[in-house]
Amino acid sequence: MTGLPQLDPVIHAQARLKVVATLNTLREGDRIAFPGLRDLLGMTAGNLSVHLTKLEDAGYVEIIKTHKGRTPITYVALTHRGRSAFHDYTAAIRQLLESAGTGTNDDN
Amino acid sequence: MVENEEPLSPSESLRLIEDQRVATVRRLGGDPLVLYVPWGVAWLGGFGALFLHYGLAGEPIVPISIDLALGVLFTLITAALVISSALNIRRSVKIKGGSAESGMMYGYAWFLAFVTMGVISVRFGQQLPAQERGLLWASTSLMIVSALYMAGAAIWQARPMFWIGAALAVLNTAGTLAGAGWHALLVSVFGGGGFILAGLLLRRRQR
Repeated sequence: MTGLPQLDPVIHAQARLKVVATLNTLREGDRIAFPGLRDLLGMTAGNLSVHLTKLEDAGYVEIIKTHKGRTPITYVALTHRGRSAFHDYTAAIRQLLESAGTGTNDDN
Repeated sequence: MVENEEPLSPSESLRLIEDQRVATVRRLGGDPLVLYVPWGVAWLGGFGALFLHYGLAGEPIVPISIDLALGVLFTLITAALVISSALNIRRSVKIKGGSAESGMMYGYAWFLAFVTMGVISVRFGQQLPAQERGLLWASTSLMIVSALYMAGAAIWQARPMFWIGAALAVLNTAGTLAGAGWHALLVSVFGGGGFILAGLLLRRRQR
């Protein structure tokens, strides 16, 4: 044991955690259309875009722009890297909770 | 403004992840109540009408014609089909990739299996007495439903779906061995009733 785990700051923010948790629910290799993701999260398009850009910069999500006829469609998917970062994050959270449980026995 | 959120505690984080997972699965997978209950009602009512027509000892329990019984069955099945596909379209969140392709192939598998079944039953049914012909249609249909439920469970790794398919296979085998009246009774009560129960239980488990 080498102390408490560090939490990934890209994921450890309420809005981005929601985004990543939602995308992680999809099967690997699946991508979801932007409006669908926005509905699932109940965020505004602008707000979601800001967070997606941050996640894209970290290499956690992939944003694919295509066209259906003349209508542009944007798809969003979690990358391998994003998926494993989320996995590490949940493992770290669990470890924190366990150490809190064995320590003061009170998580607030 | 987006960054000025309170930092989450570990337990809040975990709760948020779990809530979001449940909400997403519910939204993408549909409400089990509306997925299962219309089919449960269709089987309960439709095969129930067939059972009343056949009876268990060769005598009808209620004097209704086979045409009326089949009319009830097909009307209820059409209604269930309309309800489930309407809801499918309404909740369609666009998803591309592996699972969209699986879903499409799975849909075609149902369609082609039922076309094949229809041809087989028409061809061989001509040789059979009326009751046996009815049982041929019913048992081959049930065979497709049970096999595709188990296959679907394998695709989406959904255990309850596998057990529903396996239970239908057992029911279908027992009913076919026992004859048309028993088959209709078993499918109506345990198949139809089972779907309704599954819808209620899965809905409760989702919360």
